[in-house]
Amino acid sequence: MASAAVRAQVAAKWQESFNRLNRNEPGISGLLAFSEAWTLAIEFLKPRDLNDSAPQKQYDLNKVRAAFGVVGECRRLPVMMEVFLEDMRKSQHLITQEVEAYMTLYESNSDPEAIRSLVYRLVDWYNAWKPTADLGPTMISAYTLAFQTHVFSVLPPSFARGIKALVSATLQRTVSQSQDPQDRVLWQAFDTLSLIDRYETLIASIGYEYIESYVEETCAGKWSEPMLATLRAWMIDKIVPWMLYPFARGATNADEAKTMMQGVGSRFDFHMHKTLCNLRTKEIFDIIVDFPESMGALQDLKECLARVDQRADLVQALRHANNKRLLHPGADTKDILSHYVSTIKCLRIVDPPGVLLFKVADPTRRYLRDRPDTIRCIVASLVGDGESGDSLVDENDPIQPLQQPEMENYSDPEWNPEPIDAGPDFRASKSSDVISTIVSIYDTKDLFVKELQVLLAQRLLAVKDGNFDRERRNVEILKIRFGEAALQVCEVMLRDMTDSRRIDQHVQSQTASSMHPTIISRHFWPALESSNMVMPGQFQILQEKYAQEFSVFKPDKVLRWLPHLGRVHLELELEDRTLEADVPPLEAAFIELFSEKDVWTVDELVLRSGSVNRNAAVKALATWVDMHVLKEDSEGVFRLLSVTEGPTPGSRPQALKPAEAGELPPVMSVQQQQAEQMKIYWKFIEGMLTNLGSLPLDRIQSMLKFAPGYDRTVEQLGSFMEAARREGLVNAKDGMWRLGK
Amino acid sequence: MKVHVKHWSAVAQWRWNTGNTNHDQDDEGDVCGICRVPFEGCCPSCKMPGDDCPLIWGECSHVFHMHCLLKWLGTAASKSQCPMDRRAWVTAERKANEPAAS
Repeated sequence: MASAAVRAQVAAKWQESFNRLNRNEPGISGLLAFSEAWTLAIEFLKPRDLNDSAPQKQYDLNKVRAAFGVVGECRRLPVMMEVFLEDMRKSQHLITQEVEAYMTLYESNSDPEAIRSLVYRLVDWYNAWKPTADLGPTMISAYTLAFQTHVFSVLPPSFARGIKALVSATLQRTVSQSQDPQDRVLWQAFDTLSLIDRYETLIASIGYEYIESYVEETCAGKWSEPMLATLRAWMIDKIVPWMLYPFARGATNADEAKTMMQGVGSRFDFHMHKTLCNLRTKEIFDIIVDFPESMGALQDLKECLARVDQRADLVQALRHANNKRLLHPGADTKDILSHYVSTIKCLRIVDPPGVLLFKVADPTRRYLRDRPDTIRCIVASLVGDGESGDSLVDENDPIQPLQQPEMENYSDPEWNPEPIDAGPDFRASKSSDVISTIVSIYDTKDLFVKELQVLLAQRLLAVKDGNFDRERRNVEILKIRFGEAALQVCEVMLRDMTDSRRIDQHVQSQTASSMHPTIISRHFWPALESSNMVMPGQFQILQEKYAQEFSVFKPDKVLRWLPHLGRVHLELELEDRTLEADVPPLEAAFIELFSEKDVWTVDELVLRSGSVNRNAAVKALATWVDMHVLKEDSEGVFRLLSVTEGPTPGSRPQALKPAEAGELPPVMSVQQQQAEQMKIYWKFIEGMLTNLGSLPLDRIQSMLKFAPGYDRTVEQLGSFMEAARREGLVNAKDGMWRLGK
Repeated sequence: MKVHVKHWSAVAQWRWNTGNTNHDQDDEGDVCGICRVPFEGCCPSCKMPGDDCPLIWGECSHVFHMHCLLKWLGTAASKSQCPMDRRAWVTAERKANEPAAS
């Protein structure tokens, strides 16, 4: 039972509502007027079916506005909005039907035009249902929200595909500058339906994809010129006008547009850099191969890397490419080295502090260290093989001493921390001296000096005209690099050459001789292969005479001939012809023997020339056979052809090549020398194992350390022992070595 | 057939004529008793071998690098004796084609 108070309250409320709607009009006329206005307003706002062909009812807009005024006055607008939205909800199926119809069409023919029509149609619907502006922004935004929510909920996923096609078509048109006025309309329609906000990422991705394909197309393989400037101009020319549609809509002037585009613009710019960076990273190996023609690409890469943090990717890509294309047995050491040098130069441009280089170079350096002929290659290019042309060293570079790793200077006021991505063992090298970097592949430079010595010896002994200015120049250059002391030995070698000439001049002035020897100081030349060869006949006489003359000139000294080295220029006087030949001494010795008698067997010749290697003897004879001076009558029997014989039909084809004139003198390589030295230590090892039975490897090593000049590591000893085991000299069991039976 | 040698660029090593005639077998050669460097090498204070770092022969038949021996003789402890046999050092006169003192 309602109490009086409640009843009074209800009555008061009712009265208040009545007053609000009646607006103090007399009687209920206010109420009636409101009712009329309400009906009109609802009727006016009611969403209609665009496909309804019935003529649209015309409203007197003033009346409608008045009606809205009344409703507003009665503070019933919110309720009216509710009712309107409810009405709209009831009519939504109309839109749904249309969307479905268009999308079915699109899915059947994939023609973006269907989407375009759909978009326009949706705009029509939107405009048709839109409440008038008199009702205020709240009303309109509520309407828009409801409309869009519905539309988005019914659009199928394939709509996005359609939008994409449409948008990229507009981009194509903008870029090719065949402006279509329709585009503006389309973009406005997008904006009206706020499709731009909804598909912003999609639209941006169209731009990205376009940039990517353009960059790939224009920049791939074009390394000679920097492309970035061109690309930037292209962006401003082509992409920015297009970007104005989606990203600067509603901008009234250029400044405004600029501000609106700031964020998205820099995203696009970044993407352009990133794409170029990716492209160059992919191409980096070939760019390096092409250096210095690929300078432009490197500058681009440098700029890109400053914007895009892809240094790690670059390192990764280059290391991978190196492993795949360079660091395998099929690649020539020389090529690897020159590629390494190019890498050094290229990465110095891209990244001056050298962090990238340090990271990339490590595998290459390790690989080079394992190659046996690396040092030889480096040394050969250090002294500038004139013939091969592409020396690693740029002739124009100033020659500078090798850089030693410096200790960090703690009181340096210019000190800077190392770059942020430098590894823990990164050593900043301030110089960009290529040679220092290459030499630092190895821990010591002694190896280089040794190899250099071998190379120099070969060259000096091969010099025929007594002109070794080039070698002298090389040694002088290398002295600057490696230091005076290291090249002392080479200095002695060069002096031996000049001394020999002086001595020769003196000797010739006393007794002319056709012999012009190079007199070398042993201990200062690399080990030369020894030989027991004895020169026969007039050669021996020449040697003796010369040696005698030498001892007169230098009373304290005697000569010891190395008869297998050098070259002899001969003139052969045969019965029907004379011929000249420039041959190694062994060949000369043999032909000298043939002047004693006409037929010799190989074995006889070998015996007379002081038991030389049989293979060498056969080779030497082949030289003469090739010159048609000798003929092999039967296996191992040679006959002098005093009179020329035409090639008889039955004669053997001359398979053997003449000794090549450019053959280098037999100077032992560093490896050979080491093997030679190891033979000495084998005596020690043999002794140890005989006396002590079996020994572990490190025991052998520690005992060998007592031997003078022993400088091998345990690993080297290990591989030596392993080799000895293969030859059956020793056995190994449980890490204990004993002599084999 | 006649063979004429027009030009022969041969190679030879020089040795000190120490009178040690059996050096064919002993290929390593002799070393200076003071610095233990081969005679054909050079003493520690020299850089160039040969005429710049000559040998010196003593009456006592011992041979050294000249610089090594002079340095030794210059020290008070040497008492001008040969470091090998402690006889007074007398430098041997050598003539060009006379075999070395042995």
